[in-house]
Amino acid sequence: MRRVAVTGIGVISPLGSSAAELFANAAAGRSAIRRIEETWCKRLVSPLAACVNFSGDEHFAAPKLRMLDRVSQFAIVAARQAIGDARLDIPNADRQRVGIFLGTGMGGSQTTDDAYQTLYAKQSNRIKPFTVLMGMANAPAAWIGIEYGVTGPNLTYSTACSSSAVSIGEAWMRIRAGDLDVAIAGGAEAPLSFGGLKAWEVLHTLATEDPSDAATSCKPFSKNRSGMVLGEGAAIVVLEDWERAIQRGAIIHGELIGYGIVTDASHITRPTVAGQAAAMRAALQVAACAPASIDNINAHGTGTQANDSVETAAIKQVFGEDAFRIPISATKAIHGHLLGASGALEFVLSLLAMQHDVLLPTMHLDIAAADCDLDYVPNCARHNVNINTVMSNSFAFGGTNAVLVARSAAQRTGTA
Amino acid sequence: MTTFERLSKILVKNYKVDAERITLDGPLEGLGIDSLGMAELLFFIEDEFKVQLPFDPVALPTLGDAVSYIDGLLAAQQGTETQTTADVPAPAPPHRPA
Repeated sequence: MRRVAVTGIGVISPLGSSAAELFANAAAGRSAIRRIEETWCKRLVSPLAACVNFSGDEHFAAPKLRMLDRVSQFAIVAARQAIGDARLDIPNADRQRVGIFLGTGMGGSQTTDDAYQTLYAKQSNRIKPFTVLMGMANAPAAWIGIEYGVTGPNLTYSTACSSSAVSIGEAWMRIRAGDLDVAIAGGAEAPLSFGGLKAWEVLHTLATEDPSDAATSCKPFSKNRSGMVLGEGAAIVVLEDWERAIQRGAIIHGELIGYGIVTDASHITRPTVAGQAAAMRAALQVAACAPASIDNINAHGTGTQANDSVETAAIKQVFGEDAFRIPISATKAIHGHLLGASGALEFVLSLLAMQHDVLLPTMHLDIAAADCDLDYVPNCARHNVNINTVMSNSFAFGGTNAVLVARSAAQRTGTA
Repeated sequence: MTTFERLSKILVKNYKVDAERITLDGPLEGLGIDSLGMAELLFFIEDEFKVQLPFDPVALPTLGDAVSYIDGLLAAQQGTETQTTADVPAPAPPHRPA
């Protein structure tokens, strides 16, 4: 089996539109969650979201922009960043040995929402001619492939909140097996339409607004946690055959060494300790890592009652006594839940934490819940901590649990 | 306002085309509107000129072709209330996106 390097990172996120900005804000614990002020917000119980400061005009010519839902815009710009960061020369590569693997939970949902407004609310048949092209879930991946002429597999994974952990893991498997040399992998999501927010709200999964400060409304692992806050954005990584990366002198952000995917197959929303634990174990096993070797876990940590208790129990089941020693970061507290892009964003944050030797904080955690009794790095980052191996958890409605394990490039290569 | 001016306005507003680049004989593809983009341009034309185009998309390689086509439609509509747009001579065969 081949080793797989991460040689490029691209992010468009509520915490910033570059890896450096994302990491600085995450380490500082700055929350991007805000009260949103659209006219329809008065029909939401808690009009909260983590929005991206982004204008498509700055990145696309108008005729092309007209064909791109916001989710595709995010994906393409993040992919450009990642490919630029990796200094990949795709036109001169064997483009059939390059693949696109993208996760999204809701695809071009804003386009669909707009079309429904026109059809049902305005009783007009004048929906946009590009509604299908903009709304289809594989549009973000397709546009990336078109922009770079990538002729290998162009695949879209939709497993709700684990979509982009799955896309990265599946890409990793293809490179590891020798089927591909390079993969552009990650996720994108743009769910912040009225329809999108309302649909999540009526499921009773969203946080109520903290009256003292809306930015602190998402409180993973807290006694007073009330749910998650939706966010938007994209995170893309370039995965590459290790030897190829070394030969071309690429900068390696980390080595992806493990991927576990296990399905609950029990309930459409309710997570299970067994399923989450099995996915963590599977990732550790394929990575040939002892549980004790994990230095930091980026938790799924949604801030919902169900997830945080179950995830804590699952971590205890896998790590035993080590569970109380391993620092756990729940960064959704400040960047929100990017649904299909969350797994990729948190994987990127895990890599950045490892590169900088900084344990990212779980913000807004004043009093932990009784059954959430691990070290969640509450409210303040820890610097100068030696982090060699990280785990990133993503668990989803539908029961698809996906876990990624990565280690520092320096650990194996002896280089920074 | 002429048909050309009204079409130019659509191109400037929706496609951010520099007005100075818009000519009657220049290819629309050169302005970033390919055969797929044409589907949307025809949608805007319907709104602007209050005409109903045939269901099958039409190929209008240049703005001049579009002007002639629209003028033909408008003339047909004004000529007889019973005449339908389908009776207007179609320009080139349509391109259907896959």
